[in-house]
Amino acid sequence: MPAADTIVALSSPAGESAIALIRLTGPACAELALAITQRSKPLKKRYAHFAKYIDVNGKQIDECVFTYYIDGQSFTGESMLEIAPHGNPMIVQKILADLMARGCRPAEPGEFTRTAFLNGRMDLSQAEAISDLIRARSDRSLEVAQRQLHGSVGRKMSELTERLLGVMAQLEAYIDFPEEDLPGEDQVGPASELRKLTEEMGDLIETQRYSALLHEGIKTLIIGEPNVGKSSLINALTGAERSIVSDMPGTTRDYISAFMMVGPWRIEILDTAGLHEAGDAIEKIGIVHTIEQSETADFFLLVLDANMPSPTLPDSLLRRMNPANTIVIENKKDLPSAQSFADYLPNFKHVSTSLLERTGLAELRETWQKSIDDSLTHGQSDGVVVNARHAASLIEAVDALGLASSKLKSGDHSELIVADMRDAVEHIGQVVGRVDNERMLDRLFKQFCIGK
Amino acid sequence: MSSGLKFGKGHPYDVIVCGAGHAGCEAALASARLGANTLMLTGNLDTIAQMSCNPAIGGQAKGHMVREIDALGGEMAINTDTTAIQFRLLNASKGPAVQAPRAQCDKKAYQYRMKHVLELQENLDLFQAMVQGLIYEGSKVVGVRTNLEVEFYARTVVVTTGTFLRGLMHVGKNTNKGGRMGDFSEEGLSGSFLEAGIELERLKTGTPARILGSSIDFSQLEEQKGDIDPTLFAFYDTRGIENMFHVEQSEKNVRNSEHELFHVEHPHQRKLGWLPGQEQVSCWMTYTGATTRQVVTDNLHLSPMYSGQIEGTGPRYCPSIEDKFVRFADKERHMLFLEPEGRNTNEWYINGLSTSLPFGVQLDMLRSIEGLEGVHMMRPAYAVEYDFAPPTQLFSSLESKKVENLFFAGQINGTSGYEEAAGQGLIAGVNAVQKIRGQEALVLKRHEAYLGVLIDDLVTKGTKEPYRMFSSRAEHRLLFNHPSAELRLLDTIESMQLVDEQRLKRIKEKSSKVLEWTDRLELERKAGESYALHLRRSHSQEDFPEAMKAESKEVREEVHYRVVFKGYLDRELKQIEKLKHIDKIKLPEGFDFSEVKGLRSESAQKLIEIAPSSLGQASRISGVNPADISILMVHLEARYGKSAR
Repeated sequence: MPAADTIVALSSPAGESAIALIRLTGPACAELALAITQRSKPLKKRYAHFAKYIDVNGKQIDECVFTYYIDGQSFTGESMLEIAPHGNPMIVQKILADLMARGCRPAEPGEFTRTAFLNGRMDLSQAEAISDLIRARSDRSLEVAQRQLHGSVGRKMSELTERLLGVMAQLEAYIDFPEEDLPGEDQVGPASELRKLTEEMGDLIETQRYSALLHEGIKTLIIGEPNVGKSSLINALTGAERSIVSDMPGTTRDYISAFMMVGPWRIEILDTAGLHEAGDAIEKIGIVHTIEQSETADFFLLVLDANMPSPTLPDSLLRRMNPANTIVIENKKDLPSAQSFADYLPNFKHVSTSLLERTGLAELRETWQKSIDDSLTHGQSDGVVVNARHAASLIEAVDALGLASSKLKSGDHSELIVADMRDAVEHIGQVVGRVDNERMLDRLFKQFCIGK
Repeated sequence: MSSGLKFGKGHPYDVIVCGAGHAGCEAALASARLGANTLMLTGNLDTIAQMSCNPAIGGQAKGHMVREIDALGGEMAINTDTTAIQFRLLNASKGPAVQAPRAQCDKKAYQYRMKHVLELQENLDLFQAMVQGLIYEGSKVVGVRTNLEVEFYARTVVVTTGTFLRGLMHVGKNTNKGGRMGDFSEEGLSGSFLEAGIELERLKTGTPARILGSSIDFSQLEEQKGDIDPTLFAFYDTRGIENMFHVEQSEKNVRNSEHELFHVEHPHQRKLGWLPGQEQVSCWMTYTGATTRQVVTDNLHLSPMYSGQIEGTGPRYCPSIEDKFVRFADKERHMLFLEPEGRNTNEWYINGLSTSLPFGVQLDMLRSIEGLEGVHMMRPAYAVEYDFAPPTQLFSSLESKKVENLFFAGQINGTSGYEEAAGQGLIAGVNAVQKIRGQEALVLKRHEAYLGVLIDDLVTKGTKEPYRMFSSRAEHRLLFNHPSAELRLLDTIESMQLVDEQRLKRIKEKSSKVLEWTDRLELERKAGESYALHLRRSHSQEDFPEAMKAESKEVREEVHYRVVFKGYLDRELKQIEKLKHIDKIKLPEGFDFSEVKGLRSESAQKLIEIAPSSLGQASRISGVNPADISILMVHLEARYGKSAR
């Protein structure tokens, strides 16, 4: 909701671009601008300041353009700060994380627009159109959220919530039912359960480092010699699901980037120029660009023609690839001269396909998802990866539980401890949806025999 | 005090209240006290304000509500103070917010006094007749039909039928029609609601057996005494001699004549009533015995709850003894309280032993209990099923969305408990009058009072079991320490003119003293530090400045709470502030949610069903998410412009 909070969102499209745009609106903008730029004088309104972005720990993240708007003169009608860093997703991610650490809240879908409306910054004729826009945005984010919530994040979060409610129920029983014949009030059980919960939530927050992967997509490069079927592969994979296709300028040979899903994972897939050492000048530039791209890639699909000799990969590219992040696709298996390449990069996973006959794609997806699952998920967090928004809420929840724990230890009144735990549940509710008090009562009546 | 009964179409009342239970009494008094010409109809004038279950008022969250009712000019608190035979403050070892007063009442005295108050009330007529149907004109209610074939007309009608609508009582396989043992049920009125499109569902509740005190072996039992220094419910002191419980037979004060003073006689005492807290009576504690479980489990198949004979949903918090033994099989024994029903009766209530097992099994079960080996049962336990109207069909004012000028309060809204009923009755009574006068309804906010939480929960979420208030239902309960009810509700008390000038002045004085001292303790210093800091460390009133010690106990305690717990209270206030503005955005009556482009169909359906009256209420409906609220905001802005806010 607008008003009291300062909210933040990335306003430029996700992914790489020359310049990204991060917008903040709310009461803390002026103060934040001073803290981040470490200036002593307030920023001039509506003026582009070039300054270093210094994070809470005093480290420089980037050099950015800062523009400050005072109350009543901004898009939203409230004081606003625009930060334009370089368009590198990692930089953007760091800045967003830093702003949240400084107390900003990630904006709800459509919240900037809504704030603008409520402050009378848009005329009525725009309203219906914007309503549709918000709908489009919220539906999309809802879809993504639901995919996650039905999957591992949702399961993990509901398990944590359920346990938290269990601890609350234990304390609430003694507040609401002082006349009942309950077992002696116990501080040790709740204290140790809270400690465990805090630890597990901490682990979950740690997984945020993968949030860029979730948010921006797992950057996947398709590589291989010319004419092995790279373009057919990207078409076969993204045909129906392609959401954004953008022509990225910058080389003489444009390459294609598209977004798709593999199981729960969002993939940014990039078709690259063919690897052909002795090609013409244009192709050489293409290879250089492919190698550049590989520096920031997370995953590789190496496509071979099963009827041709094995390719020779440039060392600089080969170094980036390993059995965990690469799948070798032996294509054109339908042709009579096809042979097995099992001995080529033998530790890597191999999948056979015929893109012409559309066979092997299901197996590819399966192997692919498993590879990502295996490489991204490990041990403690049960394969759950949270995004920055989830992490921001979880951090607040953990803080609240920290307060509750220390009160438990010092023997404070239980209604005060519960107040902190309620805060935690509220914050978790921002991830899993509002947690109704009924659920706590359900736990309570299951755990204790209560009633006249 | 009647100005003469008015009936027939040409002589409408302002307000008719159907029912004289805890909801009906508060509704009728609130309406009449606001100056509206009011008629109270009841099937039985001898059971006004009857405590159908245990003879106790208050307890956690409920005690808080009674104090809120008192702050808003209701009668329940005074009636409890003057007729209670035991007072206890619950949770005394916890913080002030969750301490709660509770009292055992003399069941008959409670009724007598309430009836007396009703009889003396200006603008209020009482009449004994069963309401069997409503009279509609178009989509409005204009009056009621009674079993005497007399029709009464009114501009607004408040329905408080309790458990009487098609009430069906179960003792084992034996069933009897009735809203309460000893009273009949009302079979016709439900049809009148259905005819108007008001949906009805069934709920179930129950009450344990009553036993004869002289057949209890108290020597085996543990005594539970009242508090020496009783915590009373009413804000103005009820301990003066003029508030001694008595019902005078004339309007003149005839205290000098002992015989005309109504009082409950007591063999060892002089013939005078009791002042609140005087000569309290104890409750006694016992446990189910070694064979109780066996008796219950052997006969489970005879319990209508288990055989499927009862269809209504019973409350989770009030399980029958059958449920307790089945669901908590590892618990060896269950605690029971024996509560006296009055000073002059030897009938006792057994708290903790709800059941619908047959008579014979009940007897065996009672005799298996420690101290009850030779017990004489006076009334059996029974379960009762009844119709209620799911409360999501109401506006926050408690007016029906389907039928204009028709208000609902109490168990018909799916609640349980005298306090819950009384609170709704008061609000419905006030709002019936506000409606006639074309003034804004009294709607308490969730952060203002338990009564606000109660009604918001009912109209927003509905209920699947008889709804009882728990303090955990109030997200801002830290602000709801019971003595602060008057201060929290001051603005409402004043704007709605719910109390007289003199009392309003007292509340305002108290309020400004509390505010003044709360500030001063932060600013004024002792030994280099503010008094507030000292206080937060020591929690001791010794750290108050000298000048403050002259203030009343109420002022000192409230200031103490606000200063010591300032951090928590400020946090609550901050959260409230954040949510405030969306509560202010009203959704116009009859707002068409299906017209809003972009709402997910699941949300649209919920919103159409509940028809919230503000965006705040909409946001509390389960399944409605922030994106939906955004869309609604944008739509409102587009359709209604800034006036929507």
